[in-house]
Amino acid sequence: MTKQLGFLHNSEKCVGCQGCEMACKNEYQTDAAPRWRQVFQLREEDYSLPTRMFFSMACNHCANPECLRVCPVKAYTKREDGIVVHDHDRCIGCRLCLMACPYDRPQFNPAQKKVEKCNLCYQRIDKGEKPACVAACIPEALQLVEINEALDQRMGVLKTLPGLPSPDITQPAIRFIGPKQGKQIRRD
Amino acid sequence: MGTWEWPLIVFTVLSQISIGIIVGLLGLDCRNQLKEKLFKQGVVVSGILLMIALLASLFHLGHPEAAYRAITHLGSSWLSREILFFILTFVGWLYLLWLSFHPAGKLRSSLLITSVLGLLGIISSAMIYVLPRVPAWNNVAPVFFFILTAGLLGALALVILGGKELQPEQKKSLLNWALGCIIVSIFMFVLYASTIKVNAQGAATVQFLLSSPLFWLRAGLGWLAPLILLLIGLKSQKVFTASTLYLVFALVGVGEILGRALFYVSAVGIHISALF
Ligand code: SF4
Ligand code: SF4
Repeated sequence: MTKQLGFLHNSEKCVGCQGCEMACKNEYQTDAAPRWRQVFQLREEDYSLPTRMFFSMACNHCANPECLRVCPVKAYTKREDGIVVHDHDRCIGCRLCLMACPYDRPQFNPAQKKVEKCNLCYQRIDKGEKPACVAACIPEALQLVEINEALDQRMGVLKTLPGLPSPDITQPAIRFIGPKQGKQIRRD
Repeated sequence: MGTWEWPLIVFTVLSQISIGIIVGLLGLDCRNQLKEKLFKQGVVVSGILLMIALLASLFHLGHPEAAYRAITHLGSSWLSREILFFILTFVGWLYLLWLSFHPAGKLRSSLLITSVLGLLGIISSAMIYVLPRVPAWNNVAPVFFFILTAGLLGALALVILGGKELQPEQKKSLLNWALGCIIVSIFMFVLYASTIKVNAQGAATVQFLLSSPLFWLRAGLGWLAPLILLLIGLKSQKVFTASTLYLVFALVGVGEILGRALFYVSAVGIHISALF
């Protein structure tokens, strides 16, 4: 693997509109239940500042993907650019990857009795386009980035957020920019 | 919290009894030459259990018709390895079946090879659950629990199957073995509960178990009652009528099934903690 593509999510810009989720659903015409991408709001117990804070997460195309390790049919492969691709045709629906992923990103489709997940729009990336979710994010809170040292050393770039599983388990290819304190008001 | 995984409960418990019987036959044969009838009975029952177990495992899959593909990731998937070892165990069993009708070949070495393959199958089954995402499983406990089920139910099944074919000392050593497995199971559980408590998910698993009536039913029926019956029975051989043996087997069987169900249900994984 020569590089690791991933996501950078900026909670300062995110307004929780779920446009990324809808763009994903629209691109792949997925059934109602599986949510390849999902917008979450941090709980007050986990992040007790008076801010309302969202983050958006799909598969994190981890450097150490547990889904890939456990799958008995080799449905998962990791591309040279780090994208973890799930081959829907190979899946036999054993749901072991569901147990193994700390982010609950492989989603079981009860109608098809198979698992499905975000493949980082690799077919769009191969054409030089942005993933559907990134392209649809109006405030540009979600970006496609290369995960590397330079990114991790940038001021304000976080490897995890309160309430997320430890990144040590799978080394997810996602980074975050937290909100500036006091700018967003918790309204719930 | 996990779910009631019935196909997996049936698969793991039955396959473990099946392999426990083969290992028990090997143990008996190493002490004194096995009687032909007991060998045949043990092999046939073990095979029937293994076939039901393998069939049950298919019901867990979304696409059982493509189950053959599950053997293609031996490099890192314990599920692939488990299936490989169970297929090899089944091949070993076929040879044992042949031997039970043509008693000429190398019985002990065939029992040994089939036992080793079966035990590797059980260890692989357990290793599937050793997942960093599930702290309650991410340790040696699943391997111990699965092997203890095989030892316990395998020995008791052989005592029942053996009936009058078993010499008193063979019967006694199988019952002693079962008693030992129960004591180790209780000890292992206490150790397991006290070690996994250190993190939030493990503590949630322990709390779930200790507050579940099913767990106490499992402990009472599957550990305590057979422990007392075995202790009394082993002191005075006469108490062990056939019906007492059936009772002990039934109690332990229910206990192990409940225990396995709770193994799946009580597993708490690491999750994203956020509002959706
Ligand atoms: S987020 Fe989950 S599904 Fe995606 S690569 Fe990581 S472990 Fe696999
Ligand atoms: S559900 Fe499908 S993708 Fe997931 S581990 Fe099983 S076969 Fe692999």
